[in-house]
Amino acid sequence: MRRREFLGTTARAVAGTALLGATGCRPGKPKWGPSAYRRPARSTVAVLAAEDYGGPLEEIVRRGIGLCGLEPRGLKVVLKPNFVEYDPHGVVNTHPAVLRAAIDAFRGLGASEVVVAEGAGHRRDNEYLLDATGIGGILRETGTRFVDLNVDVTRAVRLPTRFTDLGSLYLPESVLGADLLVSLPKLKTHHWAGVTLSLKNMFGIVPGSIYGWPKNILHWAGIGDSILDINAALRITRFNLVDGIVGMEGNGPIQGDPRHSGVLVFGADPVAVDATSARLMNIDPRQVSYLRQAGEFLGNIDPARIRQAGENPERYAQDYAVLDSFRGLKLPTRATSG
Amino acid sequence: MRTAFSALTRARTALLDLQNPDGGWGPRRDSPSFTETTSLAVLALPESVEASERGRGWLRARQRPDGAWPVSEAVAGPSWMTSLAVLALTGSATDSARARRGAAWLLQLEGRGYPLLARAFLLLFPRRRVVALNPDLKGWPWVPGTFSWVEPTAYAMLALKRMRDALPPEPLRERLDQGRRMLLDRACPGGGWNYGNSEVLGDVLWPYPDTTAWALLALQGGGARPVEVQEALSALARMIERNRSGLARSLAILALGAYGVDVERYRERLAERLSQVEAFGDVRALALAATALDSTRHPFQLPVSDAA
Repeated sequence: MRRREFLGTTARAVAGTALLGATGCRPGKPKWGPSAYRRPARSTVAVLAAEDYGGPLEEIVRRGIGLCGLEPRGLKVVLKPNFVEYDPHGVVNTHPAVLRAAIDAFRGLGASEVVVAEGAGHRRDNEYLLDATGIGGILRETGTRFVDLNVDVTRAVRLPTRFTDLGSLYLPESVLGADLLVSLPKLKTHHWAGVTLSLKNMFGIVPGSIYGWPKNILHWAGIGDSILDINAALRITRFNLVDGIVGMEGNGPIQGDPRHSGVLVFGADPVAVDATSARLMNIDPRQVSYLRQAGEFLGNIDPARIRQAGENPERYAQDYAVLDSFRGLKLPTRATSG
Repeated sequence: MRTAFSALTRARTALLDLQNPDGGWGPRRDSPSFTETTSLAVLALPESVEASERGRGWLRARQRPDGAWPVSEAVAGPSWMTSLAVLALTGSATDSARARRGAAWLLQLEGRGYPLLARAFLLLFPRRRVVALNPDLKGWPWVPGTFSWVEPTAYAMLALKRMRDALPPEPLRERLDQGRRMLLDRACPGGGWNYGNSEVLGDVLWPYPDTTAWALLALQGGGARPVEVQEALSALARMIERNRSGLARSLAILALGAYGVDVERYRERLAERLSQVEAFGDVRALALAATALDSTRHPFQLPVSDAA
């Protein structure tokens, strides 16, 4: 590691242990037991081409759902997009066209109910945020209910893993009571965690009314560790759809730059979806601390355990820019295997 | 003016309609009562209204033995919402002891600073700071044991300034001074406040109307007006030209009004927006709209003696 990278990493660790909590995972005895173990023998991940937001996205989403063998008929579906903030010049959030396609696809496939739920991490003004992001318009057009997870009714949930010292967290009933939770993140690099995808998107279910804006208690507890504890605590059926049509590189998740990848990524295993999505950014998921650990018990990151459906991901891999201190995360070539 | 007056009546009626049977208000219709929304609704209604007294009753019954208030009945730990409960109870003589205990809890609460290792690193490599802020300036956190942020700091400063006469002067002066310096330190270039930082990894963050308004309310008084306050007032006026939400407009009216800006035209615009605010169903925004539409009282404006 060069001096510049070392200092950058250390500076982030400083912010990590102070303003933002520890970002790595602590060594020591195993943080998870058999009750938290959920790794399937093999996970299917579908990467489908979607050139732009004006294309036939509902059709693509239906195809992705089908390729992964998901049958949403009769299910109460909670769609959890990522709209943490609004920047008129940026690509911070899940694009409303992708959300619209997901609403239409799940309804079309017979879901008994589809709601959109988010607990924005920075902004408290949802009337503004929904309007500015265009998501409010989608909700009105489709007659879809929105649940503000920051103020939802909550239940204390004991965390089955011990990556943090939190022990338990209040989590929203709207999420815990869903038949199917669909994480709809944006394909982004992240200046503290390396990448932010399906797993990190679950920070948005933690209620701000209890834990603040940003959800600083999770930063103090450690971002990576919190990602693991929260995801291990969600014992509901999951599905994941990553908006990688235009992703974000560099100083994500808010102030990075747009990067066109032209894909949507689907799968039930959030770890496998995130591993594939990381590879689409030319980032080695085994170098992302929380993904590596998630790959030990929550899902698969080993390509041998991931059945790729749809397009060949290698065709769509892009060399996303990362901050200097994250250069160690990059795959040696643009290849997506490994 | 007439539009704003009829909108005020409508906003109050809507607020009364949203009161829970237990006397409190939740964040949305039929959701369990929260300390935040109950406090803001109490502040929005004239004291003589029976519903306001029932709201205060809800608050009285939920105060913790340590003086703090929880988020809600189901989430019982001490919370940042204590500041708002103190503000809601300060006007009532019968609740002065409760408000004092709440304020005393706030006075001892402070944001957590950087650990020793982090401080040492920053001393050795000052140019390696990730965020552009002075971590030694402690305000108030959302959650005890975590970092200070703009909004909870503003709430606590407002509550403590209101309770000035009931608190020990020296620790109060020190905390308010440090809170003030913390807010000024976190101001965004060009004016206003983001949720807590002005810059991350060299990229400048942008201000929000709501956090800017709360910070301005907290910074009332104090002698000569700092340049950060002047810039924030201008930035807030600019922001609400673009941000039409009821929450942003209401808080802008309250903040700009507290600094003597003529806000009648903003009230008219808020009145025009009220239908959307009602339809959106955010009780917090509705309570603040009812407060902002009332030109006869301003529960967040500090008398000169409290603001200093």
